[in-house]
Amino acid sequence: MPLHDTNYQHWDGTHLGLWQRRLTIARNGLTACLQIKGMRHIVVVCWIGGLAMTATLFLVGQLLVADSIVVQWVGNLNPQLQNFAHTFTTWLEQHPEVSVRTTQDVLFYYFGTLLLPISIFALGMVLPVLITRDLASNAIIIYASKAVSRGDYLLGKFSTAFGLLVLTWLGPVCTAWFVGNLLAPDWRFFWHSRLALFHTLLFGVSSMAILSVLALGVSALSSKEKATPAFWFMWWIIGGVIAPIAMQTKPWLRHVSFNYNLDQIALKVFRLGDDLQIAKENVPIFGSMLSNIRAETMTALNSPPFSGAMIGLLLMAVLAAIVVNKRAKPE
Amino acid sequence: MVVAGRSSCLTPATLPGTLAEMSGAPVIETQNLSKVFGPQRALDGVSLTVSPGAIGLLGPNGAGKSTFMKCLLQLQPITSGSAKLLGREVGREGREIRKRVGYTPEQDCHIPGMAGCEYVTYCAQLCGLPFQAARQRAHEMLDFVGMGQERYRKADTYSTGMKQRLKLAQAIVHDPEIVFLDEPTNGLDPKGQAQILELVQSLWKKYGITVVLSSHLLHDVDRICEQIIIIARGRVLVHDTLENLKSRKRGAAEVVVATGHETLQAACRQRQWGCELLPNGHMKVEHHSESLNPLLGLLDELKLPPLELIPSPNALEETFVQALEISHAPA
Repeated sequence: MPLHDTNYQHWDGTHLGLWQRRLTIARNGLTACLQIKGMRHIVVVCWIGGLAMTATLFLVGQLLVADSIVVQWVGNLNPQLQNFAHTFTTWLEQHPEVSVRTTQDVLFYYFGTLLLPISIFALGMVLPVLITRDLASNAIIIYASKAVSRGDYLLGKFSTAFGLLVLTWLGPVCTAWFVGNLLAPDWRFFWHSRLALFHTLLFGVSSMAILSVLALGVSALSSKEKATPAFWFMWWIIGGVIAPIAMQTKPWLRHVSFNYNLDQIALKVFRLGDDLQIAKENVPIFGSMLSNIRAETMTALNSPPFSGAMIGLLLMAVLAAIVVNKRAKPE
Repeated sequence: MVVAGRSSCLTPATLPGTLAEMSGAPVIETQNLSKVFGPQRALDGVSLTVSPGAIGLLGPNGAGKSTFMKCLLQLQPITSGSAKLLGREVGREGREIRKRVGYTPEQDCHIPGMAGCEYVTYCAQLCGLPFQAARQRAHEMLDFVGMGQERYRKADTYSTGMKQRLKLAQAIVHDPEIVFLDEPTNGLDPKGQAQILELVQSLWKKYGITVVLSSHLLHDVDRICEQIIIIARGRVLVHDTLENLKSRKRGAAEVVVATGHETLQAACRQRQWGCELLPNGHMKVEHHSESLNPLLGLLDELKLPPLELIPSPNALEETFVQALEISHAPA
């Protein structure tokens, strides 16, 4: 028996604003994403990666202190490594603004591109939660009949995908940057690594936005819950297979892979070629290591096909937007 | 009284209870509202002014009832013409309109994986209610529609009756001024139908919420609605009060008598009244009079006390059939 009056009662409270309604859609979507089997494990793996990145940054920071335990430990492991550490320390001491930025740029590039496939995988798993289920269950009609527009609905769903990527990608990376620099021996590390953070945010946010739009597009392709993840993974895998093959025959074809395009944008944003060049010039031991890298690899690092990658991704995003516009509405 | 399209032959007498006399500003106003799907005109120049109340939207399947409601709620874009809902222009103030409107679609529309109470809470939040208020109101509305502990179960597992109740709860959770109900008794057993209709009826009679009930079941509409809109082939054929429609068909009544069926038939024949025995044992008498007095006089004369007397028993059905015949007649 209910504890209160079961008659209908009018409500005269104050309505929340539009952004809070959009946030409700995003929050609800994200909750549904995290309820998917295995999704929480993926998020934990990504944050363990963030912890590893923090540890790496801590170790690099300790190299600045000449008699630190880390340098001694490295020396005990291998005298050559101790030489390397000393050279590195000297460089860090002499040009901290360049050395910290370059080191963290390289580390964040590798860490970011390591988490990217995990994030793409996670996104593939949650595709049904985005639009597919709403199409299958007609819930899209309910959204359309409430005080939110179609744009609000899509913005909410976009935020769901974006939020998930923050959890699996940008969150761990940015936390690693913050905690890693907090543990560094010098507060100036924060300032010197600002460009590395900027590059991370620029690449991370733009890639996440594009991936979120692509995910919405694929999610709206079908109302069958198994079909949309299948499309996503097929596109990812086939694109990944085509890209290296197309490099030799029809170079434009490699841009069908969104993963390849994102890699090229990462190279352009982080300017990895420049960073390696700086490291080569300042740390002699690096110079000898990097001299073994093939000329084509260095060319690829220095001048990635950025325009092609951007055009490819923009075309994909436009295509996804068309699919969403056509499909994500009440019939 | 509004008679649209080719229904001019249905001109009623001017009687009390006409639409013009009904109080309140119009809740629905449309001017030449049209909706075209490819070669098919789903709505063809619908012009209506509807006052608050319990409004029955009648028509055969495919008549345009759902399309009319969807156009008003902006679930479908209007092809031409204009519409106002609650005094606001449809198409310009969508969110504001939908904040004050509730809607139960014909088909299932729950969000998979969500429990009933979570779903109704979420729907309230989409209309701008803060979470605490949304949750409290969701429980109140679920009590109101008669749902017990099953509200904590996932909506996917609900029976048809429970789903209908859930749909009604989500439609009224934000305390709308008008509720559109699309075939709310579909798939329900007679008891379930009666319960839902009782709830719907109370929305207007007790709580002042205008109800637009779309149905092809005349009995549902006859039971709870005061105004009737008959739509066929995308045109409004009749818009009038139920009282007026019934008054058009005065002159016929159903009589239930325990004995003396033959005597009554013979007496009616003498007076040149139509009389037939219906399969349910009732006698249908066409007495050609606005008043029941001549019929009562006859029954008294024959010493046949009526067990039940139903004036204008099939008025709505006959008007409906007549309207459909008109709509199907060649142009």
